[in-house]
Amino acid sequence: MALSVDENSLKHGVLSLVVTLVEVIQEALETQALRRMEGGELTEAELNRLGEALLELDEAMEQIKADHGITASVEDLRRGLDDVVDDVVDKLINPARWAEEAGEERS
Amino acid sequence: MPDAVPLPPLEPTRDPRVTLPDLLEVLLNRGVILHLDLIIAVADIPLIGVSLRAAIAGIETMLEYGMMRQWDEQTRAWVQRSISRSVPFADGEELVARMAGGHERTGLYTAWRPGTLYLTDRRLFLFRREPREMLWEAPLERIRTIQGEPDRSVGGEKRLRLRVVLDDGSEARLSAAEPERMLPLVREQAERLGRPLSTSLPGRGTGLEILREGHVWYHEPRAAGPVWRGGEAKLDRRNGLTWKSPLDARAAVALGPDEIRGVRLETGRSPGGSRVLVVETRGDPVRLAVDDVLAWGQAIVDLLESRAAAERYDGGG
Repeated sequence: MALSVDENSLKHGVLSLVVTLVEVIQEALETQALRRMEGGELTEAELNRLGEALLELDEAMEQIKADHGITASVEDLRRGLDDVVDDVVDKLINPARWAEEAGEERS
Repeated sequence: MPDAVPLPPLEPTRDPRVTLPDLLEVLLNRGVILHLDLIIAVADIPLIGVSLRAAIAGIETMLEYGMMRQWDEQTRAWVQRSISRSVPFADGEELVARMAGGHERTGLYTAWRPGTLYLTDRRLFLFRREPREMLWEAPLERIRTIQGEPDRSVGGEKRLRLRVVLDDGSEARLSAAEPERMLPLVREQAERLGRPLSTSLPGRGTGLEILREGHVWYHEPRAAGPVWRGGEAKLDRRNGLTWKSPLDARAAVALGPDEIRGVRLETGRSPGGSRVLVVETRGDPVRLAVDDVLAWGQAIVDLLESRAAAERYDGGG
């Protein structure tokens, strides 16, 4: 089977995927950081360090997206992933829908 | 009162969209236990086995369940030690802010020494790791005031410098990567210690006030004979007269206000015309040529006169 790959769109695709996943991890880190900050156990120096590091990470991500011109692709990919998650959760909550869809596929 | 229309029974609803970050947040907040036994086989022959027991959760959740508390504390303590291993923090001294910065060393010539500016709950200091040197430091109690000072550097770019005045009257000029962020933080820390900083600068002309600056030719002494060279000259109250060529690393002329004895005009050929400005010093006179010779001469005279007046004031006590 011959597989022809356009190198540029492959790079573009892989880079967008990697950046999207890093962004998702970044957001998870930020929410957990917020929980720690509210937990009240971190010292002021640690709070500052954490805040600064997360800010730097955010700025770095924006720079990477801008430098490579993938901001739009990353947004699209994010929306696609969110759609998948929404769909799965919806089916988990409404098992009837799941059964319905399975029935359709069989017929 | 008419009968109220019966409302439909309450039904649980969901926000229409669940996103991936939402899912992760719930999973990490609640905590996830994963039991995974996996065999990867080819042609029904097991080749790779994975047996995995995992608990994944945000650290706050872990702490709630009484797990990883010691590890968490050790990790945070380790970081404090590894920073302080090279940077000389005192016991229990806490870092408030850190950024790239510099200290202006005046004297024979003016130079900015680069380092990292640290603000702690006790001190403000500029430290350089390699080679290890404390470039400048002051305990917060000794700082009388700190002000932002716009400055035209020799390279021509505008920078906001930090002028620190200590309680013994000595001053230092620092630079910072984000001076606007550092200034309020220093003030905050000083207030926290019960020693709020004054907002007024000491007067009597000790400010930077640039009297004159511009493109000036300097008759530079050389072994084979003096040579006219073009460059930037600056006359200000604190640093005196400096002249630097863009091709040089350092200012060739750096006369402090005390070193300028006088100024006069001479006739002679120069790029600026037929008159040369001669600045008398303790050593050799400095010859300069510029289009507006008279304005420069007057500015130097003003500087000398105001300094003489200040000395009389001091002497009178």
